[in-house]
Amino acid sequence: MARRKIISVTKKRKATGSESPNQKKNTVELAKDINKRNNTQKEGLITSKTSDEEEEEEPQSSDNSERILNLGEDLDVGNDSDYIAGDSLEDSQIEEIDDDEVSDISENERNLGEKKEEQEEKDREPPNTVGNIPMEWYDDYPHIGYDMDGKKIMKPAKGDELDKFLDKMEDPDYWLSVKDDLTQQNVKLTDEELDIIRRIQMQEIPDANYNPYEPMVEWFTSKPEVMPLSAAPEPKRRFVPSKWEAKRIMKIVRAIREGRIIPGNTQVQKPRFYNLWADSDQSRQDHPMHIPAPKMKLPDHDESYNPPAEYLPNEKEKEEWEQMDPEDREKNYLPQKYSSLRAVPAYGRFIHERFNRCLDLYLAPRLRRNKLNIDPESLIPKLPNPKDLQPFPTRLAFSYIGHTGRIRCFSIDPLGLWLVSGSDDQTIRVWEITTGRCVYTWTVDDIVHSIAWCPNKDVCGFIVAFSNKVAFISPFKLCDEEMYLFTNQYVTAGFNQSQKDDKKKNVHWVQPTEQEKESGYLVILNHSHSKTVKQVTWHRKGDYFATLAPDAGNQGILIHQLTKHQTQQPFRKIKGIVQRVMFHPIKPLFFVATQRFIRVYNLIKQEAMKTLQSGVKWISSLDVHPMGDNIIIGSYDKRLCWFDLDLSSRPYKILRYHSMAIRSVSYHKRFPLFASCSDDGSIQIFHGMVYNDLLQNPLIVPVKILKGGHNIVDSLGVLHCEFHPTQPWIISSGADHQINLWT
Amino acid sequence: MGKLKKKGQSGAATNYITRNQALKKLQVTLADFRRLCILKGIYPRQPKNKKKANKGSTAPVTFYYTKDIQYLLHEPILNKFREYKIFARKLSKALGKRQIKVAQNLEKNKPVYTLDHIIKERYPSFIDALRDLDDALCMLFLFSTFPATNKIKNETVENCRRLSSEFQHYVMHTRCLRKTFLSIKGIYYQAEIKGQTINWVVPYQFSQQVPDDIDFRVMLTFLEFYQTLVGFVNYKLFTDINLLYPPKFDKEKDEEAAGLDAYLIESTNISANILDQSKKPEKTDNHDNSKNEINDAKEELTQKKEWEKRLKTLAQKITEIKAQDVKSAAAETQTDDSQTAEINDNKNQLIDDFNEQQSNGKSSSIAENQQVTQITPTTKLFTYYDIHSASVAESEFQQLFSKCIFYLSREVPRYSLEFVIRAFGGQVGWDPTVGGGSLFDETNEIITHQVCDRPSQNHQFLSRVYIQPQWVYDCVNARKLLTTEPYRPGKLLPPHLSPFVEHKEEKAEDSSNESEEETEEMVLMKELEAEAKGIPFSKYQQERKQLKSETIATSRKTIKSGQKRTIQEIEAAEEQEIKELGKIMMSKKQKKLYTKIEHGRKKQQRKVANLQQRKRELDAATSKKKKR
Repeated sequence: MARRKIISVTKKRKATGSESPNQKKNTVELAKDINKRNNTQKEGLITSKTSDEEEEEEPQSSDNSERILNLGEDLDVGNDSDYIAGDSLEDSQIEEIDDDEVSDISENERNLGEKKEEQEEKDREPPNTVGNIPMEWYDDYPHIGYDMDGKKIMKPAKGDELDKFLDKMEDPDYWLSVKDDLTQQNVKLTDEELDIIRRIQMQEIPDANYNPYEPMVEWFTSKPEVMPLSAAPEPKRRFVPSKWEAKRIMKIVRAIREGRIIPGNTQVQKPRFYNLWADSDQSRQDHPMHIPAPKMKLPDHDESYNPPAEYLPNEKEKEEWEQMDPEDREKNYLPQKYSSLRAVPAYGRFIHERFNRCLDLYLAPRLRRNKLNIDPESLIPKLPNPKDLQPFPTRLAFSYIGHTGRIRCFSIDPLGLWLVSGSDDQTIRVWEITTGRCVYTWTVDDIVHSIAWCPNKDVCGFIVAFSNKVAFISPFKLCDEEMYLFTNQYVTAGFNQSQKDDKKKNVHWVQPTEQEKESGYLVILNHSHSKTVKQVTWHRKGDYFATLAPDAGNQGILIHQLTKHQTQQPFRKIKGIVQRVMFHPIKPLFFVATQRFIRVYNLIKQEAMKTLQSGVKWISSLDVHPMGDNIIIGSYDKRLCWFDLDLSSRPYKILRYHSMAIRSVSYHKRFPLFASCSDDGSIQIFHGMVYNDLLQNPLIVPVKILKGGHNIVDSLGVLHCEFHPTQPWIISSGADHQINLWT
Repeated sequence: MGKLKKKGQSGAATNYITRNQALKKLQVTLADFRRLCILKGIYPRQPKNKKKANKGSTAPVTFYYTKDIQYLLHEPILNKFREYKIFARKLSKALGKRQIKVAQNLEKNKPVYTLDHIIKERYPSFIDALRDLDDALCMLFLFSTFPATNKIKNETVENCRRLSSEFQHYVMHTRCLRKTFLSIKGIYYQAEIKGQTINWVVPYQFSQQVPDDIDFRVMLTFLEFYQTLVGFVNYKLFTDINLLYPPKFDKEKDEEAAGLDAYLIESTNISANILDQSKKPEKTDNHDNSKNEINDAKEELTQKKEWEKRLKTLAQKITEIKAQDVKSAAAETQTDDSQTAEINDNKNQLIDDFNEQQSNGKSSSIAENQQVTQITPTTKLFTYYDIHSASVAESEFQQLFSKCIFYLSREVPRYSLEFVIRAFGGQVGWDPTVGGGSLFDETNEIITHQVCDRPSQNHQFLSRVYIQPQWVYDCVNARKLLTTEPYRPGKLLPPHLSPFVEHKEEKAEDSSNESEEETEEMVLMKELEAEAKGIPFSKYQQERKQLKSETIATSRKTIKSGQKRTIQEIEAAEEQEIKELGKIMMSKKQKKLYTKIEHGRKKQQRKVANLQQRKRELDAATSKKKKR
């Protein structure tokens, strides 16, 4: 039985003490220990067998014996001894000695009658069954545990501080007593217990009877044994050299032979440095992928400790340098001047700079960059000398002054004698080209947008567009009688025919009033739409002319026949906003320039022939070469495109030289010249030679930049330019109310 | 039809490899890879087309040349790195288990790598190594001034100091220093060795503040490589001129702060002699008694020491004798100017002598066929003379300070001045407070120049010139002895200019400016002259025009008589216009390039103009002051 065993253990413990006084060696700890064990056993018992009386008694008795031992009293010794008697010899000894003690203590009993009674009561009290728990759990309760029957064991009367004090004063052994947690009572320590405490304090072995210096028992003796321990015969391997050892040794031997191990550990130190380039000293061929690191930059004058005074930065430069981000700085130091070498301090960033160089060497990606060491002048293409390409206008001859508004348009008569100009001041003026004299002035009721002299040399007159009207005006003073009559007849003959069929028309050919007739008006065309007519342009024969009103939808482009007073609407539908229209100088072709494209129509076949893609953003002007195979366009995004109609639908050449929008471009009728004028106030003259040979591309050479003739007003410069029909002159009109003649 | 080319199988796509790919291929850590790159000199590349190199992505990536990485695969050092890693692991394990014996054994067999093969690989020829010496020297000179910290070991610093001193000794010995420059950052030197110019910068000697924001692992890896490189280069340089390498290091002298003198430079011949001499008696002794060997060895040692001592004293004596000679020479010619004059005289004499010899030699040797002699002198004499004069100039430059004996006061930088002066054949002594080993003391009469950096001197010797240190450096840069007057102590020094700036550019700029001004001035002068003669201006102009029209037929007479524009101006304007017209016809690409070049040129011009302007202002200010 487990319980019994444990008890026996306790007994044995006692037995280790072996001597008689030791049987009474009941330290508080021991007692507690046993108590606890017993308790646990009891619990086990309670759960298993409660009926067995014998069993129940035994723990009690044992416990009692403990208590007795604890308190040095013996009352139910007989019980105990009865039980122990059969256990062992030693126990019997205890019995006897216990008996002796009893006699001693009985004397004490007599002295302390009261205490004895209490003790008796206590002994009768059932033991506390709470087990091995911290007793402070019961601090707040009136009881301290439960007895075997499950009844509460109440806390003994404690007494107040005064009682304690009195106890302390009265009881001479007070200092020898210790409070027992389980019973909540003071227990006086015995001499043995005190001895143990003393020994512990002295750092001795607590057990007084333990002898640490017992004689040694020799297990393995120095005497050789005569008899073998085992009768087995010796194995063979004891007599054969080891194979594995041999292998290991051979490994070392081989290493020594090969020189991997040098025996004796005398390592002969090779000299650290020797002639590395002794056997071959040839540099490798340069490889394109080998990029040697660039060398460090050598110092400039301003890095000197004593630089010339002009290298020193002024206050402003210093401040700029300091405020700049260190990475943006051109130089990583500020030039400084020291009066003597003695005054030069250490450079604080020296290590940093070296470190950065190291980083550059191994972290910076390298790239072989070919340095262009060419003369920039060689980049400029060699052009034929402009002097060899004369004649062309070179300088400003004079100005025609009189207009008081922007001059948007002008036209020169086919003989080159007269110039007619229309302006924003709502006047039309005719000038004599060679003298600059203003011959005629008409006033109209709106801005004059376009004007064009009739190309027929027999007819003296021009058409002019203002608001939604177009008028044919003949300056009769300028021509002789015969010519005037012819003109009059040429223009007004249509009235007889046109009046017959009176359908709904796009244009009404109206006879001018008498007053207007006197001033030279011959016919007026009233458009049925109310949009402004922006451009008028003649067919080369002077019979047909086209008008353009970009906002008027499909009625925008109309072709009129002057002699018959007829009007045609060539396009039922117009794609895009039309910028310019133009007749081909030779063939029956018609050019329509929209914002980005130029469409070429055949007027006879009435079909679209070709679309030219300019590649510019917004076409401003258009002109056709007198031979008819080349076109130039100017654009508001500063470009001039030359189209060769035989070559491609894309530009042959795109030139971008004006600094502002191009307003007008123009070909010369006889000389190989063309010009462009722009809002930057300049006119560029080019030599543009077109060869009859189809294989030869046109030659374009810039020959002259005409500057300074026109002032820029409201960011508008030269608005229109046109070459003189016979002379190498160019006439330009600008936003500064001037017309200039360049010769 | 040929085989279709697949995308990404040739060209930039295979030529370049990203860093991460390289790491994966080599199976190393980034830190090891970086070390490897530093040691092997492998650097990232910038492919011409990033997209092609990176599978169409333009993300910022570092590219390496694929073949570089492939070569790295076979690098023995890579294996050593791995071995070292294993060793470290084993060691830490042993230490963790407290197996001290095992740890010691491991430590004994620690894997060690050398960089010899890498140096040979990176610099297959010695010239290549010299070409790349700049950075190495800068680094060594910097680290030789470092304090030993927990990151930088004392041995490293010592080794750097040793290697840099050896190099300096070589430069002094061969007199190959060419340029020096005192900048605010440090002292720049330029030496010319075997046709290669080598530049390096030495910081001013102050205790270095070691900054925290620097990764010293990188610096030390570089240093490791540079130490090996300079070691091998030094060996080759020393042995090429028959000097013993490594030079003997005198610890006692070093402790006295003798600086460069702590190294004993010996010729291999001398040392061989010593060895022979010392070996002879040893052999005889060996015959007599084998037990006396130890004594013999001791004797041998003492003999050697004596020899060395004698040699040293010999050198000193020689220098003294030389110095005395110089002194006597200097006594004759008191001022520096006369000295230089004398040198010039000597030079002339030398050349004359040489010419005589030449002519003699020729007449004697080619006396037989006179026709040949008639042809040869005209062609050969000139070139020979040319080469000769150049070499004489060079050798004279190398002996620049050979007749000067310097004494350095304690406030001047001895570490630099001693080097520079000795590199040009001068003698130097210094204040004992700066270090030991001075050849003479301050009171010695042989001293011709005393370098001091104090405004006033307590006691001045009349026999010597007192100068500021800049004089020495300026003399080197000017390649001649300058007058000492502006460099006297306490005087405002003339500006110290960088010898590394190319003089050609500046001169060209100056001259071009001058020529333009001159032309204008000339025209004005002529006009004035014409007026003085009483010729009316219009007539004068006509004359000019006629003159011009003869030369340039096409030039038009666009000038009205009243206009004051000269023909040249018009011509210039015309030219300008032609240029402008030409620009119209330029393609977009050309136009861009042209504007770029023009921009750079104009920037440079602006800079020069700014400097000139400032100088003019400063001059005006100083002249005003003077007037007052």
